[in-house]
Amino acid sequence: MSRVSLNLCLLGVMGGAVLLAIGNLMMPEGSAYHVPTYAVSLAGKYLCYAMLAVAVDLVWGFAGILSLGHAAFFALGGYAMGMYLMRQIGTRGVYGNAILPDFMVFLNYKELPWYWHGFDNPAFAILMVVVIPGVLALIFGWLAFRSRVSGVYLSIITQALTYALLLAFFRNDMGLGGNNGLTDFKDMFGIPLQADSTRCGLLVASAIFLALALLVARYVVTSRFGKVLIAVRDTESRTRFLGYRPEAYKLFVFVLSAVMAGIGGALYVPQIGIINPGEFSPANSIESVIWVAVGGRGTLVGAVLGAVLVNFGKTIFTGVLPELWLFALGALFILVTLLLPGGILGLLNRQARRAKPAKAAEAAP
Amino acid sequence: MMHQDTLLYLDGVNVSFDGFRALNALSLYLEKGEMRAVIGPNGAGKTTMMDVITGKTRPDTGRVVFGNNTDLTKLDEPAIAALGIGRKFQKPTVFEPHTVWDNILLALAGDRRPRFTLWARQTGEERDRIEDILKTTRLAEHRNRRAGDLSHGQKQWLEIGMLLAQEPQLLLVDEPVAGMTDAETEQTAELLREINRTRSVVVVEHDMAFVRALGVKVTVLHEGSVLSEGSIDHVSDDPRVIEVYLGR
Amino acid sequence: MKLLRCLLVLLALAPFAARAQDDPFAGMGGSFDETKHAIEALAVSGNTQAEPAIVALQDGKLFIAPDKSLWIKTESGAINARTGEKAEAPGGLKPVKKNNAVREAANAALGSLTLFSADPAIRKKAAEAVFRSRDPAALPALGRALDKETDAGVRAIMEQARAAALLSAPDTADADRIAAIGVLRARGDLEASSLLSSINGGSPEVVKSAADAVASIARVQQLWTLAQGVFYGLSLGSVLLLAAAGLAITFGVMGVINMAHGEMVMLGAYTTFVVQQALQTYAPSLMGAGLLFAIPAAFIVSGTAGIAIERLLIRFLYGRPLETLLATWGLSLMLQQAVRTVFGASNRDVTTPAWMSGATMWGGLTITYNRLYIIIFAALVLAALMAALRFTSLGLQMRAVTQNRRMAAAMGIRTPWIDALTFGLGSGVAGMAGVALSQIDNVSPNLGQGYIIDSFMVVVFGGVGNLWGTLVSALTLGIANKFIEPLAGAVLAKILVLVLLILFIQRKPRGLFPLKGRAVEA
Repeated sequence: MSRVSLNLCLLGVMGGAVLLAIGNLMMPEGSAYHVPTYAVSLAGKYLCYAMLAVAVDLVWGFAGILSLGHAAFFALGGYAMGMYLMRQIGTRGVYGNAILPDFMVFLNYKELPWYWHGFDNPAFAILMVVVIPGVLALIFGWLAFRSRVSGVYLSIITQALTYALLLAFFRNDMGLGGNNGLTDFKDMFGIPLQADSTRCGLLVASAIFLALALLVARYVVTSRFGKVLIAVRDTESRTRFLGYRPEAYKLFVFVLSAVMAGIGGALYVPQIGIINPGEFSPANSIESVIWVAVGGRGTLVGAVLGAVLVNFGKTIFTGVLPELWLFALGALFILVTLLLPGGILGLLNRQARRAKPAKAAEAAP
Repeated sequence: MMHQDTLLYLDGVNVSFDGFRALNALSLYLEKGEMRAVIGPNGAGKTTMMDVITGKTRPDTGRVVFGNNTDLTKLDEPAIAALGIGRKFQKPTVFEPHTVWDNILLALAGDRRPRFTLWARQTGEERDRIEDILKTTRLAEHRNRRAGDLSHGQKQWLEIGMLLAQEPQLLLVDEPVAGMTDAETEQTAELLREINRTRSVVVVEHDMAFVRALGVKVTVLHEGSVLSEGSIDHVSDDPRVIEVYLGR
Repeated sequence: MKLLRCLLVLLALAPFAARAQDDPFAGMGGSFDETKHAIEALAVSGNTQAEPAIVALQDGKLFIAPDKSLWIKTESGAINARTGEKAEAPGGLKPVKKNNAVREAANAALGSLTLFSADPAIRKKAAEAVFRSRDPAALPALGRALDKETDAGVRAIMEQARAAALLSAPDTADADRIAAIGVLRARGDLEASSLLSSINGGSPEVVKSAADAVASIARVQQLWTLAQGVFYGLSLGSVLLLAAAGLAITFGVMGVINMAHGEMVMLGAYTTFVVQQALQTYAPSLMGAGLLFAIPAAFIVSGTAGIAIERLLIRFLYGRPLETLLATWGLSLMLQQAVRTVFGASNRDVTTPAWMSGATMWGGLTITYNRLYIIIFAALVLAALMAALRFTSLGLQMRAVTQNRRMAAAMGIRTPWIDALTFGLGSGVAGMAGVALSQIDNVSPNLGQGYIIDSFMVVVFGGVGNLWGTLVSALTLGIANKFIEPLAGAVLAKILVLVLLILFIQRKPRGLFPLKGRAVEA
């Protein structure tokens, strides 16, 4: 992974987001440069997915942990934000109950369940966006890495984890909206969510957090810690004989990655307007892995690239030929693993390397 | 039996896998500063012995004591490595995506905890140590190459260099000259003798010429226990050894 | 006024009482009460026309003419109910009216009437009807039937029926009551229990013995509930076993992580559907045996698909398990979409043959045939799979290749071919599982998705590469699930089992029955 490509990526993400925001807010409707609001939301959604992809790349690309449950952390962050947004609705719900969200009134709740307390406070909610995915990752990772569960086994139990959460969140007794999830949000930090300026603000915020995630991830993987991590990825037992504790390294990066995914989810929910248990479905987690594979595993930039490209493709396909989308996605999985193991960035790098000696030869005489 | 200057002491170690006895009441002493060659036919338990010492395999019964009074059977691999026992594998295992320099950097003795490595910066002292080791292992001009791109012999040396960087009291070296040219074998013998000036070494090897070249005390393992021990000439005259090696 | 009414009632009853001697049919079609009495009289009369008349009454085909003659309407004409002869019915027929009391009386009467049938099954049914009605009026008939009864099973039920009737008769002696309670206690089911708990009054001994019997039955019932739980657990376990058996080969033995395994199961289920459709069109007489044709068909379809997948995809990914996982997941998406395109997204109807529907009671156990057959089928599949691995030369070569690929190749085994066949075998077994699952689950493109995580958990829990481990693990998980269910609800039970499994795998990463040895260490 080169510094240059990461800087380019940061520039692209930030610049793109700002340009879209300007196009939406400053350009008059009807102008060729006007950007419709739905496109702003769509771009914001892509950037949130890109954050999830960076989180997946951090554990898969650099620690060799193929998590098939990362969307669970994304969804948990989303639920934490959703709970805050739910409390913000206040008396504007259908039933006009100041304390209880609509679905609770509907389900005959008498009072707010204990775990909903505090979510009316934005600072607490933001803390939970980080803490809930982080703590789950800490407990799960501590158990898994300590007993040296790795490779495919780890993948399967991460999948089981998100599957268990999926089933749990579908239950009405969970007090989180069951099947329908949390929706009908009105405003965030007192600002109406539907306003164009809010949408643009959220897009830019997503871009900023994605850039931060990339910078943090880059710092981690290029530090000595990162070198140990890569060593653990490729030859775990050897690092142990050198005196390193791979489980500690994996645990740190797993928790960091879960927190990133959680923040991504928290930014995703206000832009989409809903969070429901479907986000926990194992298919979502695996899809996020393929974004990374498409862009190029272990490159960070590739994760962003893959997430944006694949989701852009999905938007186009599901609009035009919805039946073909699953064929296309399935084929993408197969083609990338068979023919493009390094992803798009791997391909570009190889071509760049091939081009370099040629240029040098030209310059020689 | 325990001497003041005994470094490693295996006493009645038994290991079995599904009824197969890999180690059978194995007992072995190693003095401080000693170099020992361990030979034996396939399945004699050489690698299992290394596994037991480094904490990869836990013995069913028996004691493994390091230094004054540390029971190795209670510790795991990183803890044993931190005590000062380094291990070189039969198949050279280096960190292929990293440069030669980084491989040695990661092996350098120091704080292994994530909270340290996350913020660590390379110090001048570390740089000097790495330069030293590169020189010893004749890898100085390869410092920026990916370890994965090195030749087989270079990888063996890099791994020995990594062992040196760990600054262990005891080195366990598994078949260091397998697949090496004659010249490389000779250089390796020299390197090991040099290392032995400051540290104890256990070498597991098949190559009798190499063992002879080392000129140290030899332990012959057979079916998980010690068959014979002494100088290379002593053990090669031992009728039991001849029987095991040449068959009945 | 009161007196007058009494007199009127007496007057009305007098002719009935008088006529009851010679004509058991008398009163039929009068008031509900009269009809009821007539039925009871018929039941003990021994009149050969009693049964058809009461059956006709039950079916609403018994009519009364203005002259009080009774007629049974059949498709071929009217029959005089008293004589059983065909005749021209007079005009003005009215159906004999029924209320619940009449219906009950009719049921009880038929019960005692059919006690003398030549067919033991009918006698048994009749005795059970009496047991339920607890009608003391049936006692004389029961007594006569018991004297003649030779079949031990029918006799036992008749005795229970007599006990029930005795207990509800007001004038039974205490000793007889206690004996009757003993009989019911021995019967030991919920009906006996509810009958016993309805006893109130009587001497303290009777009350105490009834209470004891109820408690004893409750204990017995608890055991049966436990056994029922085990049966449900075994049934779920055998479903898990079927779904996981193929995976135990492809993942357990070969180490290939095939996320499209569930789709092999799904293909098997759709093969069942296609086979049934084909039979319906070309050979409707064979429909009952449709599943028997579907089993080999599904094995071939899924097995062939498996071989194709191995040759076209998986063989390029050996040694890269995580990539295999992703590629096969992609494959599973494509297979689902392909099936959705061909068969539509909605569920397909797979018919359950008659011999697989229904249930039988075995003591206090309700055993549904489809579950029972699936348990048997799972056992057969596992046995066949083990035998194939153990006794066929293909199995020998498979084991050789998985244990030491290079050595096997050196011995002249064509390892790529064996890989393909092994994978085909695992997939084919998954296809057979699909045939079974089509009987209890919706046949839809998503069928396989629901089983993939469970199957992997079963294989990992049991210990990879160990079919016995897979068996034990599937049954353990099935039973655990069914026993947590009543405590926590179905969804929570599943979550709990998953969480326990996750914890277990972290404690013992190699499963219940790990393979040991140096090969594993490497």
